[in-house]
Amino acid sequence: MIELKNVSVTYRGGVKALRNLDLTIDDGEFVVVVGLSGAGKSTLLRVLNGLVPATEGSAKVDGIEVVGASNATLRQVRSRIGMIFQTFNLAERTTVLNNVLMGRLAMVPSWRSTFGLWPAADREIAMQALERVGIVEKTYVRASNLSGGQQQRVGIARALAQQPTLMLADEPVAALDPVTSRQVMGDLARINSDLGITTLINLHFLDLAQEYGRRLIGLRDGELVFDGDIADVDDDTFREIYGRSITAGDVLADTDT
Amino acid sequence: MTADASAPEPAAPGGPGGRPKKPRRKPLTLVVVVGLVLWTWFTGRQVGFDLTTFIDLWTNPLWQKFWPIPWEWVLDRGNVIDPLIETFQIAVVATVVGCGLALPVSFAMSRLTSPNGGTYWVTRVVMNIVRAVPDLFWAKILVTAIGIGAFAGTWALSIFSLAVMVKLFSETIDGADPRPLEAARAAGGRHVPSVRAGVLPTVLPSYVAYSLYIFELNIRASIVLGLVGAGGIGRVVEAQRQYFRFGRILGILLIIFVVVFVIEQISVALRRRLV
Amino acid sequence: MTATVPPDERHEGSPAGRPERPVGPLVARAVVFVIIAGAFAWGASGLDASWARLRSAPGDGWAIFALMWPPDFATELERGVIGKVLESVYIAWIGTILGAAISLPLAFLASNNVSPSFIRLPIRQLFNAIRAVPELIVAVILIAITGLGPWAGALAIGLHSVGTLGKLSSEEIESSDRGPVEAVEACGGRWISRVRWGILPQVMPVIISYWLFRFEVNVRASAVLGMIGAGGVGAELISQLNFRNFPEVGAVLIITIAVVIFIDTISSAVRKRIIAGGAGDDQSRMAVLFGDLVGHRGG
Repeated sequence: MIELKNVSVTYRGGVKALRNLDLTIDDGEFVVVVGLSGAGKSTLLRVLNGLVPATEGSAKVDGIEVVGASNATLRQVRSRIGMIFQTFNLAERTTVLNNVLMGRLAMVPSWRSTFGLWPAADREIAMQALERVGIVEKTYVRASNLSGGQQQRVGIARALAQQPTLMLADEPVAALDPVTSRQVMGDLARINSDLGITTLINLHFLDLAQEYGRRLIGLRDGELVFDGDIADVDDDTFREIYGRSITAGDVLADTDT
Repeated sequence: MTADASAPEPAAPGGPGGRPKKPRRKPLTLVVVVGLVLWTWFTGRQVGFDLTTFIDLWTNPLWQKFWPIPWEWVLDRGNVIDPLIETFQIAVVATVVGCGLALPVSFAMSRLTSPNGGTYWVTRVVMNIVRAVPDLFWAKILVTAIGIGAFAGTWALSIFSLAVMVKLFSETIDGADPRPLEAARAAGGRHVPSVRAGVLPTVLPSYVAYSLYIFELNIRASIVLGLVGAGGIGRVVEAQRQYFRFGRILGILLIIFVVVFVIEQISVALRRRLV
Repeated sequence: MTATVPPDERHEGSPAGRPERPVGPLVARAVVFVIIAGAFAWGASGLDASWARLRSAPGDGWAIFALMWPPDFATELERGVIGKVLESVYIAWIGTILGAAISLPLAFLASNNVSPSFIRLPIRQLFNAIRAVPELIVAVILIAITGLGPWAGALAIGLHSVGTLGKLSSEEIESSDRGPVEAVEACGGRWISRVRWGILPQVMPVIISYWLFRFEVNVRASAVLGMIGAGGVGAELISQLNFRNFPEVGAVLIITIAVVIFIDTISSAVRKRIIAGGAGDDQSRMAVLFGDLVGHRGG
């Protein structure tokens, strides 16, 4: 359960990334966030796990206040939030397994993780996460040897290993080709429907949003300009969010290429 | 240049404004160059720059003392081989100790991975001071403090290794990809485990390569430690110098050259496999 | 509202099942650990270090530094320590200039894109030979021949620098872009022009930064050379240490450290300027500068 009340974020240099945002998301929802680059999508996600501090307002995740929280509280909240990045953010020079184990960092004593002495139970959780995204056969492969789509699936497995209550995906498919993008979106959708994890995804392509999502949030210049069912999106809505009519660059290419 | 009234002026080459004027050579460059030349002249006089030395070098009768090389003496275990082994041992231990300590210190000293501002500044300042002390000064001071011999020399070289490694390695960490670290933080990890999981795999090959390089440096440095009484082959060289036994010194130098050469080849081959 | 999942994007779980943990990397890691631990143990055995010595060492080390406080600047200034430290700097400067001047042409001769192998290889080995002999030993020999004094120190530093600078410079030259060289050739330039216009402007910024870094190193080296009588502050340190005048030792140390840090800071700022100026104003300025020195009149 996410509650944002009057959240504003102003970066150093005066850039207002979010303005007086109000938003409520219930457990188990699958929400897609769209908007131009710089509209505040990334900032919105990062306010929720404290990677970006909000300048004003209140943001509560599962009842815990994130704005102005102490480092210890932030770590606790983050351990329950799985984050997936556009550039995958894997440690390329080590194995897939070690990357997924990073998801257990908050649950394992510091000395154990520092020296690589992960408990068997955590290893099991990591393996199960890899099985769920379907690449467990690559467990011991060096991360840099995988394709883009495979690397992103490792990223998803890493988030899953945290056994999170909330998944945040920041443009997870922006660096992938159309076919792989659909596979990854499918994974995220399945995780939401099978495991009931609340999911918030930043997307660039509207048609992907329409295929997989039900609730759509549109941001423009840091403000919430649309919040409703995807089926209700028409050209007017589009112009509200993007400031112009829809073009070819806003939809993913056909899958049969 | 008079214009022909009937024909329009062709567009001037170099753009609508016409040809740009040649930029005046900045006076700063000239000042710098002249300053450097004067400075060099001055320091040269201070130092006693004397070109005739080169001629002297060639014709000095002392060179005869370098030949022949008394191989029997040089290859005798007690005279050269044993001290050389000691030199080696100093280099190995100093590398392990110095580079080992340098690992956490470098992380503390790097913008990317430092836990907080205070640690960063303190380590930076301390390491800068340590690096500013010439290596043999350390050796001589430690010899005076803890006594003559390889023990002091090893400590001195460890400090030297630490300083060099920290400088090289912290700069590498500064340039490492910060994104896996962000992911580890996002998963809720504390500082040290996040750094270990997110940054260490990326920078580890560089660490190993630097360690090998520092090992090479230490072999050469430990040779001279003996000159201040800190153990190793340097003591032998100093002893022989006092009796002008240059033939022996040349023999020692040749052996050193071969050993260093071999180690260097191995080190280069290993380093190539790493990065 | 949860997601709708189009059926064709479901995976059927993992086909191959869980793989076995590969043994290779584990073995490699164990082997490396054994080698390092073994080398360390062997090394430590020869050092006549007992547990007693290990425990007392930090204490003894600390004690000596404690004795240096407060440092006695007055005595040292009377003894002209500033002049001696400056002498070390002069020695380092001249040595670096010598090393730079000799190493540059040799570096070209040692590069595979300038020089044929029958010249290149011997020069390469010459660099290695020079590098293998520590400055101190060179200085020892030189002093025996030329007598004590700063000039011996400068020579020793200069000669030794030729080795390192030569190696680094030639590597830089070899890794330079061939394009400009080709351009000069296409204009009909001879070998010397190819070098002067095709390679030199490219590599000079980096090579000059190597010279500056070498200067930083050489300042320390010349302080050390003083210890065996080659001029500079080293001799002062040794004599004060021998007389156990620790406050004076402290003063010498602090002044030396201050000067070294000062030089390091300036040198590093200049180096950054030179390297960062790479593709623009400063590089052409450096090229012009060098052109001035070589007597070029262009434009």
